[in-house]
Amino acid sequence: MSPPFGIIGVFTTPDALKDAARQLRSLGFRAVEAHTPYPIDGLDQLLRPARRQVALPLIMFAGAVLGGAWGYFIQYWDEALDYPINVGGRPHNSWPAFIVGTVEFMLLVAVAAGLFALLASCRLPRLYHPLFNAVEFDRASIDRFVLCVEARDPSFEVDHLRRIFERFGAEQVAEVPAA
Amino acid sequence: MSVLVDLPPHAPVVAPGVTLRSLSEEVSNRVLRPGAPPWWWIGFGVSLALLLTLVVAMAWLFINGIGVWGVDIPVAWGLAIAEYVWWIALASGGTIVSALFFLTRSPWRSATNRIAESMLLSAAPCAGLMPVMHLGRQGLFYWLFPYSTVMGVWPQVRSPLWWDFICLLCYILMSVMYYYAGLLPDLATVRDLATTRSKQIFYGILALGWRGSARHWRNQQTVYAIMSAIMAPMVISVHSVVGLDFAAGLTLGWHSTQFPPYFFFGAVISGTALIIMLTIVVRHGYRLQDVITGYHLNAMAKIMLVGSVMLGYAYLWEAFGPLYGSDSAERGAFLYRIFGFYGAAYWAKIALNVVIPQLLWLPVVRRSETLLFLISAGVIVGMWFERFVIVIPSLSHNYMPSYWGVYFPTFWDWAILAGTIGLFLTLFFLFLRLVPIVAMAEVRAIVENERSK
Repeated sequence: MSPPFGIIGVFTTPDALKDAARQLRSLGFRAVEAHTPYPIDGLDQLLRPARRQVALPLIMFAGAVLGGAWGYFIQYWDEALDYPINVGGRPHNSWPAFIVGTVEFMLLVAVAAGLFALLASCRLPRLYHPLFNAVEFDRASIDRFVLCVEARDPSFEVDHLRRIFERFGAEQVAEVPAA
Repeated sequence: MSVLVDLPPHAPVVAPGVTLRSLSEEVSNRVLRPGAPPWWWIGFGVSLALLLTLVVAMAWLFINGIGVWGVDIPVAWGLAIAEYVWWIALASGGTIVSALFFLTRSPWRSATNRIAESMLLSAAPCAGLMPVMHLGRQGLFYWLFPYSTVMGVWPQVRSPLWWDFICLLCYILMSVMYYYAGLLPDLATVRDLATTRSKQIFYGILALGWRGSARHWRNQQTVYAIMSAIMAPMVISVHSVVGLDFAAGLTLGWHSTQFPPYFFFGAVISGTALIIMLTIVVRHGYRLQDVITGYHLNAMAKIMLVGSVMLGYAYLWEAFGPLYGSDSAERGAFLYRIFGFYGAAYWAKIALNVVIPQLLWLPVVRRSETLLFLISAGVIVGMWFERFVIVIPSLSHNYMPSYWGVYFPTFWDWAILAGTIGLFLTLFFLFLRLVPIVAMAEVRAIVENERSK
């Protein structure tokens, strides 16, 4: 039998999951991930206190700046460079009239950057994942709170982890096959 | 409960019996069950028939040109433009409920935001079709896109009409992305509850492999909050720019600085009204009374009331300006608007948008779904009259008496109205059938929160 992908413990409350996760951290486990049906405050910080968050707001801000510049440039190119028309002596680069287009492009690119950065930072789309092999995992999107320790963790040991999960009141503990 | 007693401030948002499991199954089963309920088929059938009307009316329009409508000089903008504004206001209401009240962390937003966003995505195409049909040479509408063609044709980007086009385009694209960012976790729930292979594959692909890990949630929450903070002012800008289309014109009754906020107030009231109607239908049709409760309707009724009061304020200034000012043409046009050929439409909008919604001050009215439904329907009709009154009487009574004349909608005008309603309903019924209509991930947090109270 090939080595498993990892082991999951299924909990009924977010508090039990948090307690177990805290214990695993203090025992030195690092390849730990939690899967919950709704966002739990502070869970990611608890699992990865040292790791810095991906700068999603900064990416969206960069998108806004780029989008705004792009939106303004299109209009400037159109009205001042490529096809200048004199309308009642107004300047070709009539910036107040360009503001609406600039703002809309700015917001559009910011939101698009946000969506793509969200997918990239979550490593999605990824239609297949070993976790989906575990039947018990299905309820992580419905009403259960699942903690997973991957086999790549140096201190991974099935029986040890099974005992820890059960001590914290896991409803089910299951091995996740690798393929 | 007495007639005058409102819901207590800590009233439960969802019914006490709802659990995480029952919530997920109740909502997902509407999507996953093999056959749709009879009312869905009836509604969808009627919608498709109306959509067919749109196809026929558009074909007739494209063959014969916009002369088939009643538009002519002096009234060159008819129902199509009035209904463009009407539809975009209905769509905007969806974003207001969903984005603005996400930022205020209002708990009632979570069970209704998916309805609101589905409504917005169904109404926005109806709005977009209107000006395209009105172009005269519909096939050349792509000239509005700001790209350098080999012909060297550019749109005139100083024109508010072009701003409007770009606002609507960006608005629809952004709304789709915002919708998807919020929908992703719920698609994963449907995927995990699906029992047939085809549905597992369909929703599996749509869910993109979402696993609800701590990292996923943290990223999703960050991006979704910023998106909401962008969408809320964005939707205000969209509808304000529609107001600018008119305010930048020199026609009597249009050339007013209050138009951008005035139009936005209309979006608040009419969008909320449509969401209330759809919420009542969905709640009973899909038996989701436990998840979508009186709490939600009560909150939305208050938003509608606020919209009505704001709109009343705008109507007041719309009347005060011409009557107090010294411009006799302005005054004449305003008097024509309220007492002239189209006077009835003016008084209909006052009654339906401002007078009747004042009933919502009474808590007993906010508790009655029948009354809420009727008042909301009245508001939607009233807003249609408002758009009519803004566009048509103003054009039919301009500065020059030689430029006066009336417009009356023809059969094909009405066919387009019926047809776009069909397009809207068809899309909405498809949303009802294909995506979870309640944002389950958000309501779960509310359920847990109430259980621990």
